[in-house]
Amino acid sequence: MLIWLILVPVIAAALIGLAKAPGRATALASATFTLIMGLWAVISTTLNPECANCACWSTFAGHDLQFTLSLPLSRIMLLLSVLVTFAAILGLKAPSKEAERSWSVSALLLSTGAIGAFLSDNIISFYAFHELALIPTFVMIGYYGRSDRRTIAWNATLYLGLASMILLAGLLLLCNQMGAWSFSAMKEAVAAGVVPSGCVVAGLLLVGFGTLVSLFPFHSWAAPAYASAPTPIAMLHAGVLKKFGLYGLFTLAWAFGPACTEFFGCWNNVLLVLLLGNVLWVGAVTMSQSRLDDLLGNSSVMHMGYIFLAFAAYVALGGNNELAFKGAAVLMLAHGLTIAMLFLLNGQIEHQTRTLEMDSLGGLATKLPWLGFLFGLAGMASIGLPLLANFAGEFTVFVSCFQGWNSGEPQFDCCVLNTISGWFGGLGPVQLATVFALWGLVISAIYMLRAFRRIFEGETGPATERATKLSKSDVLSAVFLAFFIVVFGIFPFIVL
Amino acid sequence: METSIISATYTWAQFIPEFTLVGLASLILLADCFLPKLPKSCYALLAAVGAVATAFFMDSEVSLGQFRMLAVIATALTVLLAYDYRQVICASISGDDSEEGSTELYALPLIACAGICALTQAKDIIMLFVSLEVVTLSSYVLAGYFRRNQGSIEAGVKYLILGAMSTGLLVFGSAWYYGMTGSFMLNADVVTNVFFGTEPALSVGFMMAMALLLAGAFFKTGTAPMHIWIPDVYQGAPTPVSAFLAVASKTAGFAVLCMLLFPFAELQVTPIMQCLVILTAITLLIGNLGAIGQTNAKRLLGYSSIAQAGFIMVFLINSTGEVAQTQVANYLTAYLLSTMAAFYAIAMVRTQRGSEELSAFRALGKTNPVIAFLITVAFASLAGVPLTYGFIVKFDSFCALVNAYSVWSSSCWLTTLLVIMVIGATAGFYYYFKVIREMYWEKPQAELKPLNVPMVTAGVMAGCVILLIALGTWPLLTGNM
Repeated sequence: MLIWLILVPVIAAALIGLAKAPGRATALASATFTLIMGLWAVISTTLNPECANCACWSTFAGHDLQFTLSLPLSRIMLLLSVLVTFAAILGLKAPSKEAERSWSVSALLLSTGAIGAFLSDNIISFYAFHELALIPTFVMIGYYGRSDRRTIAWNATLYLGLASMILLAGLLLLCNQMGAWSFSAMKEAVAAGVVPSGCVVAGLLLVGFGTLVSLFPFHSWAAPAYASAPTPIAMLHAGVLKKFGLYGLFTLAWAFGPACTEFFGCWNNVLLVLLLGNVLWVGAVTMSQSRLDDLLGNSSVMHMGYIFLAFAAYVALGGNNELAFKGAAVLMLAHGLTIAMLFLLNGQIEHQTRTLEMDSLGGLATKLPWLGFLFGLAGMASIGLPLLANFAGEFTVFVSCFQGWNSGEPQFDCCVLNTISGWFGGLGPVQLATVFALWGLVISAIYMLRAFRRIFEGETGPATERATKLSKSDVLSAVFLAFFIVVFGIFPFIVL
Repeated sequence: METSIISATYTWAQFIPEFTLVGLASLILLADCFLPKLPKSCYALLAAVGAVATAFFMDSEVSLGQFRMLAVIATALTVLLAYDYRQVICASISGDDSEEGSTELYALPLIACAGICALTQAKDIIMLFVSLEVVTLSSYVLAGYFRRNQGSIEAGVKYLILGAMSTGLLVFGSAWYYGMTGSFMLNADVVTNVFFGTEPALSVGFMMAMALLLAGAFFKTGTAPMHIWIPDVYQGAPTPVSAFLAVASKTAGFAVLCMLLFPFAELQVTPIMQCLVILTAITLLIGNLGAIGQTNAKRLLGYSSIAQAGFIMVFLINSTGEVAQTQVANYLTAYLLSTMAAFYAIAMVRTQRGSEELSAFRALGKTNPVIAFLITVAFASLAGVPLTYGFIVKFDSFCALVNAYSVWSSSCWLTTLLVIMVIGATAGFYYYFKVIREMYWEKPQAELKPLNVPMVTAGVMAGCVILLIALGTWPLLTGNM
């Protein structure tokens, strides 16, 4: 039955693209279907975990397909996908009828690719669905993007194309080595005593997945691409599709169990440095942006650092870090919802004022109080305010980094790190990185609050005068996402 | 050692499809002389139907049966393409509206096809050589078919000269083969005898024979260093002929390669395999990097055909007989479906917009969204985008290389090749998407009229695309690859 989550959007996209069905209406019907079906699947398998393996989900017309909800992260990612897809299509506002059609088709294909990847047990299907989702992204940026759209689209294409190839090489080598071609078979193989090995393979996987998730220093495609992409594409890519890389890393680490320390471990310290690059370097870049779209694009890159931190903590303890896994899962969901909501509001601000330069905005909250409230909420969530979903995720991640740590002698080879570590009672690499990464919270607070002040408060800017009124669907789509951000802020672990 | 030169036995009955094809071609040529009133286009339909019909008479037990089927389908599609392209053909041959002299374009592919079919049944080198020459000779005529068009004449001459050279290599190779083994037979016993028999010193001369024979086959497949003719000839030859050379002729070449390399399946003769790795790597680099700068659609497909040949060669490196044959045939199937759809699109654009440059595809996404979608899928499949059959076979090719690691002792060769494959596949995304970019991204200078899509073109393109998607999606959904 899970196949309908993939078939229905594809059919809807074909109807819009080839048979000239009305764009937004058809897409909305399909998104509503996937929302209901997805929620049903997630709820029923959460209430009754046995059901995740049952044949009724994975078969279609008598054939046993490879889709599954039994992987640890597939449910939460499915939930994220259907929620963001629905909000993106509900809030879709294209400049012309034609654009509306192609935006709808792309949004549907993007979400199909993401859902297909998150539901796939077979590793090659998992890879292939993600590739499928990348294509509409490139085309939409190249055709409808802001600013220097073609250069941006080509940069993204080359970065992601090369990354996908590196990833494919890594996955093939890994599958061949393990003799297993699906996540579940890989877990069985590990249980039967096959040990994944090879620093090179792990490196290929980290670079491949890492580039897709915009890990520093392979991140430079991401911020311009998000800033340039049409609203629904930015929402779906930054919110949902980008989590593919982290999903893959975590699911592989889960399948390897204790062996993941040996496999990914040789890169763990490098990864810690790189993720600090995400949090601090990109964080600093984010602070200096003058346009809202650039700011959000960079902020989305920056926050990936926290999830990589959770991965490093998970790997360091050989998979015995339940908290890191849960924290990462909640943070992926929370970040996806929040960044999607921010991009949605970004699109509405541009639609209302025809600019995203923060200098020419100001005082927008007096004209559009709802927009101000929703942006404030999403901004606070992004900073990590308690009772909102991001807080739950980030807090769990930071706590998980100290799991299994006992204060003792510093153990670095480098005397500078030893000294710093000594000040804190002998922190290990993961803990030390956490101490630095915590500063990311301050950085987020600075740029997000400053952006809010410059756009919504103070003197009414010249562009603000143009703002008229939000439509019902504008408010509804944002409220829809806000609702789930609050729900997962209060009950973060309900789907885990 | 064998006493008779050729001990392979053939029966008349096994060549019925070949005779049917040649008979049909002769019938069409005779009818053209004696029934001048009959519209020429009906010959095209007759030839296409006839070609497909012979497929039903074929013995599916033959080991290269899939190759035969591909050749027949490619021929039928070529003839249908020639039918849709007749406007340009007539203008380039007789220069007026008459259809004078267009019949040969419908008949000659049938003869070439008979050659390919006979080739797949060859058990010795004589048979292989003769049938390959049937293909080559018909292709010489076809490549230079537009006698009023300089490009076509250039293509014909280039193909003739380089083709003659490759024929020479093939003959010379056959002589060496016979000299070294005392037989024309192609089978594992001969090879085993050379390398592991009583007189292993023969192996140097045998290598010489293999090198020459393989070079002859490489000419057909477009493997470096025998690829030089491809871009010029594809660009200059009439589009249906380019399509035929790209698909049917390549199928013939790979059938020969499969036959020549089949005996080496389990033998692990390292020098031959190392040569293959080097040539595959060079082919991939030339094809993929050469394609990047192209602006002419046919020339682009020429380089693409070199690049795809590189990906197919990978199967033969770790050749395990039957398995490799099936994999090669599967890759060729995907290649046939996508390349044919691409050539149909090029022919249609050429007929109505008068140009074969990539810029002629501009704004098709606006004027003909459905056709633009079909073209997108065809090129996406060539690039290896998931959910098309092109992805599955390219994935197979990567798998074949990774599997070879378990057989080879020194893996640095394979790793180098893997890196080059990754570069090639990435470059593929760049140059195949140039077409897609033209159709969707570029704004036209002037208002363009929608193309008028002929029935045959629409049907064939839709059929190819549906097959590409169906064959590409099903394995991903079920996880059976």
